[in-house]
Amino acid sequence: MNNVMSWIKDIQFFTYVNIILSSITTTFILSIASFILATIVALLLSFIEVFGPRPLVKAVEWYVKIVRGIPLILALFIFYYGLPRFGFPLPPLYSAIIGITLVDSAYQEQLFKGAIEGVSEKQIEAAYAIGLTKWKAFRHVILPQAFRIAIPGWINEFSIVLKDSSIAYAIGVTEIFTQAVHVAQVIADYLKPLLLVSLIYLCICYPLSYISNRFHRRLIEMGMIGS
Amino acid sequence: MESNILVVENLWKFYGREVILKNINFTVKRGETKVIIGPSGAGKSTLLRCINLLVRPDRGRIILDGDVITERRDVHNIRSQIGFVFQHFNLFNHLTAIDNVLLGLIKVKKLPREEAMRRAKEALLSVGITEELWRKYPAQLSGGQQQRVAIARAIAMDPKIILFDEPTSALDPELIWEVLNVMEKLSRNGMTMIVVTHELGFAIKVAHEVMFMDGGTIIERGPPNQILLNPKGERIKRFMDRMWYLYSLNRSSKVA
Ligand SMILES: Nc1ncnc2c1ncn2[C@@H]1O[C@H](COP(=O)(O)OP(=O)(O)OP(=O)(O)O)[C@@H](O)[C@H]1O
Ligand SMILES: [Mg+2]
Repeated sequence: MNNVMSWIKDIQFFTYVNIILSSITTTFILSIASFILATIVALLLSFIEVFGPRPLVKAVEWYVKIVRGIPLILALFIFYYGLPRFGFPLPPLYSAIIGITLVDSAYQEQLFKGAIEGVSEKQIEAAYAIGLTKWKAFRHVILPQAFRIAIPGWINEFSIVLKDSSIAYAIGVTEIFTQAVHVAQVIADYLKPLLLVSLIYLCICYPLSYISNRFHRRLIEMGMIGS
Repeated sequence: MESNILVVENLWKFYGREVILKNINFTVKRGETKVIIGPSGAGKSTLLRCINLLVRPDRGRIILDGDVITERRDVHNIRSQIGFVFQHFNLFNHLTAIDNVLLGLIKVKKLPREEAMRRAKEALLSVGITEELWRKYPAQLSGGQQQRVAIARAIAMDPKIILFDEPTSALDPELIWEVLNVMEKLSRNGMTMIVVTHELGFAIKVAHEVMFMDGGTIIERGPPNQILLNPKGERIKRFMDRMWYLYSLNRSSKVA
């Protein structure tokens, strides 16, 4: 601890902090882009799984099963080292975005499907009882409630993607984790830069988990999910 | 105009091999209040759910206002003409009280917003839900208030009949009265209703006819005094004795 404190007093400290933080934009671009793309794919897939015809439902189930079995780093390698062989060389950042999107879409699909199925049967019956058609019941009762039910998990999922984006280090994307490692190599000390970068992740994830919990509690209060 | 608004003919329902409803026959006159009582598992809920087609009967016909609804494919149109009040209220949790009432008026009846608003307010006021409660979410309302909003949601649609499935059995005793009171007023104003309930006081005071169901059939039916106080069959006698015992216990504990 003493060691760390003295390092903070060191003028070099701020230079290193600056170097690491200079790449935070990349971390954000990488995690936000992958996350949003994964959300779009996952929404489509979950609608198919809940309402689609049998063969498509099976297809989505297999997609989820297979993709969830792929280690993230493998997905990144496939899109970075694998694609050029088919004549599609991609810059590391793009490969990383596609890789994370692929894997995360499977997780988010499960989240959304769970949220749609989490809407209480009683609510759906009430919707039918007032004369709503299947589509209108979905549009005005199931979807708005599923949307709210999905929010806490969706926020948490972003935290996961944010932290997972550090794996892009392995294919040479210069995001904050990569920068921290570079600094570590220069000053020949891993602990301090890595502690610093953990702190950055924590500073983003902690508020997110706080907000997620607030939403979760609100849902219980509103009776949309069981406590 | 025919005086029977609802005719149930030879209605059967099976779940797998089990007979849930066997050969149910009855009619409901315009403006009539019918009470159904019977032990748990008798098929009371299933019967109500068949009438608004939430459950498909396997055999028989249901005729609503001259329309053989069991042969119709556009079930949502039929359901919009039948009110349903659930035991657990089933208000839409993500909508405020007034939006709960508005949803059907706007999306099913396709009324213009102002007209829908006028009718929603009127319905809410008629069940004693005053303006300060309109913008509250179901979770912010007491059980009695929630059930009254649910009744308003049903009556705002101007239904031909309202079905009540044990509307007070999920309520604390002191809230039961406010809901029964609203239902009594509805009945007096000429609404046609079928009410599954164990509130004997309500049945005696309000029902035009009481039907006792057991094992998927209607065992006995008649004026409330006869069915509730002087039933014929052994099974129903025993049932009524227990019901009156519980009922008087409730009353005395309330007085005490
Ligand atoms: N979806 C279902 N699948 C299989 N069996 C069912 C289903 N719904 C109801 N049943 C059975 O049908 C029978 C009648 O049920 P129903 O809910 O209509 O009874 P009830 O008279 O309303 O009883 P309660 O007073 O408990 O509400 C019961 O034996 C129940 O187990
Ligand atoms: Mg029941």
